[in-house]
Parts: sequence; C-alpha cells; structure tokens
Amino acid sequence: MMWKEKYKIGVELIDQQHEELFRRVSDFIGTVRSENPWDTKLSKIKETLEFMNDYVITHFRDEEEYQAKINYPGLEKHKKIHDDFKAEVVEFVRLFEETGFDEDLVQRFSGKLLAWLINHVAGIDQKIGEFARKQEVPHHES
Amino acid sequence: MKAEYVNSFYQAAQDVFKIMLDVGTQKDDVFTHEITDDGANITIKLKGDLTGTIVFSFPKETALEMVKIMSGMEMDKLDSFILSALSEIVNIICGNAATHLQKYNKSVDITPPEVVEKPSTEADKCELLPLKTDIGAVKLNIQLEENQE
Repeated sequence: MMWKEKYKIGVELIDQQHEELFRRVSDFIGTVRSENPWDTKLSKIKETLEFMNDYVITHFRDEEEYQAKINYPGLEKHKKIHDDFKAEVVEFVRLFEETGFDEDLVQRFSGKLLAWLINHVAGIDQKIGEFARKQEVPHHES
Repeated sequence: MKAEYVNSFYQAAQDVFKIMLDVGTQKDDVFTHEITDDGANITIKLKGDLTGTIVFSFPKETALEMVKIMSGMEMDKLDSFILSALSEIVNIICGNAATHLQKYNKSVDITPPEVVEKPSTEADKCELLPLKTDIGAVKLNIQLEENQE
C-alpha cells in the first residue's frame, strides 16, 4: 500500500496521521497476507489491530475537530461515515473474538480495510482540503 | 431505463477507478451480457425510488490487478481478501452513484454487496454498461425499475 504525495490535504496533523495510518494498515495487511502459518501471525495481528483501533479513533476525532474549526459544511455527513466505519470495526472485532480470529474473517476484514482507507483518504477527505483552501484557512494545525 | 441512471453508474465507476487506482476508464463497444466465469461477480441491490440489481463482473486478471495496485502486493488467486476488497469498491461506486441519482430526484439505498457465483442477468431487462480500463474489462449489468408513486 503506497502513500502518495497527492493524498495530502494540506493540513499537517491530518496528513501525518493519514501517512501513519497507511503505514500501519500496510504492515497489518503484509502480516495477514504473509505465507507464515496463521498461528504464528496471530499475536502480531492482534497487536496491530489493537493499535489501529486506538489510532483510528484518535485520528477520526482530530479530523472532526478540524472540520468543526473551519466550519466544514460536510462535517455531519463525514462524522456519520466515521461512525459507520467504527461500528463495522467493532462488529468485526466481536466476530474475531467469537471465532477465535478465524482466518477467512480476518482476510475479509483486511480487504475491506484496504479499499475503504484508500477511498476515504484519496477521495472523501480531499474535500476537506479543497474547502479549507477556498476559505483560506491556515493550513498548519496548532 | 433512462440514460441518466446508467450514466450515474458510469460516472461513479470512472471516478472511483481514477481516484483509487489511477486507472482510466471508458465505455466499451462490445455489448454482451455474458458474465465472467473465471473472475468475480458482485451484486448490489437498490431500494427506494428505483429498485433493482447491479451486477459487476470483473475478469480474473482485472480483479487481481486492481487489488495489486491498491496493496502493492502480488496477487495470484481470487481469495476472500481480494473478493472483500472488490466488494468494497463496488459498494463505494454504488454509493457514489446513489449520490448522482439524487440530482434526478431519485433517492435510493443500497444493500451490502454480495459475491455470487452465477448471477442471473436477464438480457431483456438489463442495461449493459461494458467498460474498458487500462487494466482490462469490467462489465456492469444494470437492472432498475422506477417505483411509481
């Protein structure tokens, strides 16, 4: 999973978090897709998943705070996208625990996460940057 | 079926391929309703002012290349990871198409995508949208009916 400069929205904090998310998700998928036996990968998968869960929540919160600060008109809609995604992750984690981290389920989660994150950062989040530029909001977060 | 409904899906697919994959898309002139038999067929249903089913048919090579572009990893078989990534792309395209449809005062909800082995595509009821992309063909079979109020 490659981070691209064009994904930057011009808000330093958000761009750093996006880049970190790409790195973490990429690592996670690399582990999930590696050919090592499932049992040997499980501890790393659990550890990365836990970190990502916390990181995603922090990132969504920071991104929503920034949107509120610039009076971004799409905030409510954007917040709903975040909330829906968080709810899906919670449901996956519940199923992981219920099934003892079933490999097929983790593979499906990873595939979805890959496509979801790219669309969210390369598509949906770009509109925040476009709006901020139009408003001439300072691009450096304090 | 109105052309603007089909075009809403075309525009959404074109945008998503460009934004997510950096892949150009145009309409193809090969019209056949046959679905792929070595690749992935994913359906999504619409409810609301328009009711119906959209079938996305990805040949194996196209499907593998799409996920390779996103992940940066070599892919050789259509496993649950790949099918799930493709399903999410279908979900995103149809969600965006639903937004386009609002311009024509059509409010629709979409159901979660489903991977199907042999989707039924009734040629007489379906509108075919064959796409030619830089990484191979993708076919959309669009079956929609307007709900009269």
